[in-house]
Amino acid sequence: MWYYSKNGMQLGPISTEQLSGKARGGEVLSSDLIWKEGMSDWKPLAQVPEFQSTSGFSNPPPVGMGSVPMQQPPIYPAGYAVGSVPNYLWQSIVVTVLCCLPFGVVSIVHAAKVDSLLAQGDIVGANAASKSAKTWAIAGVATWGVGIGIYLIFMVIVAAGAAASSP
Amino acid sequence: MHKDRALWVSLGVLALAGGAYALRETGGTGWMPGCAFRKLTGLECPGCGMTRGTYALLHGRVAEAFAFNPVGMILLPLAMVALGIEVMGWVRGKPMPFRLNPGRWGATVVAVVVIVFWIVRNLV
Repeated sequence: MWYYSKNGMQLGPISTEQLSGKARGGEVLSSDLIWKEGMSDWKPLAQVPEFQSTSGFSNPPPVGMGSVPMQQPPIYPAGYAVGSVPNYLWQSIVVTVLCCLPFGVVSIVHAAKVDSLLAQGDIVGANAASKSAKTWAIAGVATWGVGIGIYLIFMVIVAAGAAASSP
Repeated sequence: MHKDRALWVSLGVLALAGGAYALRETGGTGWMPGCAFRKLTGLECPGCGMTRGTYALLHGRVAEAFAFNPVGMILLPLAMVALGIEVMGWVRGKPMPFRLNPGRWGATVVAVVVIVFWIVRNLV
């Protein structure tokens, strides 16, 4: 079963036949990264032995491509798997709606940047945004936990005081 | 399939269910500390009303729940489903075939909606 990437999204799993069908149909390009269990890292479809014939026939390089320098960096630099940078978006939403502190909003903003930066090929920026999203989410939960703890201690003291003052 | 992870997830689900039951049976949220942000600033945060909303929802009053916090009432269940799928993938040791990924535009829309909601609810 294969996983493949499209516009910064990790898709799949699909079978070998389905993937070669998508490659023939042009839905998956020979430069798109694919992966299955057992492979050490994501590879462009064209470099995976199972699909070399498919991609060779279906996606010939455009005329003159060899002479023109690449206009943009590849979406995912080699060595970084698609989805290897978690965006923590759902976690930050939970923190925002439940912890009742603006920390979660900061976390959501960072989380929203992760996939955009990834799509632009900015792995360093995506990792930094991912780390910020995580840090702010944890800060929100921690502050909430400490606040609840203080509140509970306060309630116990008040209850004990009421019990002590009553005859 | 990781049995230790499955155990932790089961405990977490039990704690959630216990918490929901406790909230349902306490007779209201008046005894709770409330939102620290609202106490300090007088303004509502994007999450204000979620405890009261959940309390209303647990008593079957859906319209009342949405009145307390419409955006949170939509986003929280979505986030819980999405994280549930991630947790299932974590327990079985590989990602689930279907995952809720909002993508780069979806994530931006969520961020904008939350911030706009935060501003608007303090204006009206």
